[in-house]
Amino acid sequence: MAASDSVIRAIREGDVSKEESKRFTICIIANPSLEAPWNSGAFVIDPIMGDQAAFDASVRYIDTSLFGGLPNEGEQVFADPSISQKVRVLSLFVPGLAAQDSNCLVGEDGVSDLLIARRDVFSAFLAQFGLVADVGYAVTKSAAHTRASAWFTSDDTSQPGVSFTLDGVSRVHCYYNLTPGTVALHCTAYSLTALHEFGHALSSYENGMVVDLYVDSNPGLNCKRGRPIPRTFSTYNGTVFLSDMTRDRLGYPPGWQSYHCELIAPDFPAIMDNYWLSPDGVPEHCEHDAITRRFLLDRILAKLAR
Amino acid sequence: MEPLKPDVKKSVLENSPQAGAADLEEYERLLSLRFTVNPEAQGAPEARERRASIEKRIRELHQKLFPKSSRPPTQSG
Repeated sequence: MAASDSVIRAIREGDVSKEESKRFTICIIANPSLEAPWNSGAFVIDPIMGDQAAFDASVRYIDTSLFGGLPNEGEQVFADPSISQKVRVLSLFVPGLAAQDSNCLVGEDGVSDLLIARRDVFSAFLAQFGLVADVGYAVTKSAAHTRASAWFTSDDTSQPGVSFTLDGVSRVHCYYNLTPGTVALHCTAYSLTALHEFGHALSSYENGMVVDLYVDSNPGLNCKRGRPIPRTFSTYNGTVFLSDMTRDRLGYPPGWQSYHCELIAPDFPAIMDNYWLSPDGVPEHCEHDAITRRFLLDRILAKLAR
Repeated sequence: MEPLKPDVKKSVLENSPQAGAADLEEYERLLSLRFTVNPEAQGAPEARERRASIEKRIRELHQKLFPKSSRPPTQSG
């Protein structure tokens, strides 16, 4: 199917001094088809395809939350014009597609209320429209499942990038991906959910995973394991980051082995933690911890410079 | 993965007397862990076994936390 102005909208053009294929691109897609349940091979038309107004509202929400524009939003990491004016954000609403594997970007998990991005389908789906994404959001109006989730990016390590060191190990913010970071999001999602999932999706299986902090997670860029908690969390590109000894006001539950990096907003949970537990009831007051913010910023700056 | 809202967590535990907070915590941890297993490495026997083991335990905990007589939790967006 050829690209059409009626289905593809540029929410942000991005860095117009670069050819489109080199711009850092976020694609927000109305999910044409749902797999219910996930991995069943059974496909139905996603109800979002009958509600373009809900999809458009979700697109506005995602764009606003990513660039720090929600009411009371404390995290402004991507709000700086040097980033927000260079990122390309596109929305796709493609009516009339069949309920089939190649048009299905979201599955309903059979053992939870999670929406699961079908990450292997995104690139081929977008290629029909001549698009390549760094991060893809699939927006659904599933009747049964509402909880968002994301997969990290699979980097294309055969292509160049910007090198960095993490605890003495050389790594790379790769310019390109083999599989983009992918998010499955319900059209009713609000608050920091889109930004939380972006933190996962922008990070990398090969060069640093930004993991959930509200469970006793395995190690990642933003999470380590061990007791007692050491004062130093990590050394990233020569900068020493300290540990969060107390996990803001939430505390580390007894028995946990994981610990996190120092917070920028120490009275609030990190965005990758449970932002719904913000002590003043305003999740938007939460911000990323120090190493997550630095890592995500450097990663997007690297990709913007390709 | 979107964190669980406190009211949803409370509701799950109230409606699942046969399960405890530790079951819910393990369930949540494994759901989150699922996304950290690199899907590109799924072909490797080690990754396949790890994924299968995670999914088996998630199913067991799901049955315990959400027996068929009760509805699964829905986290309204």
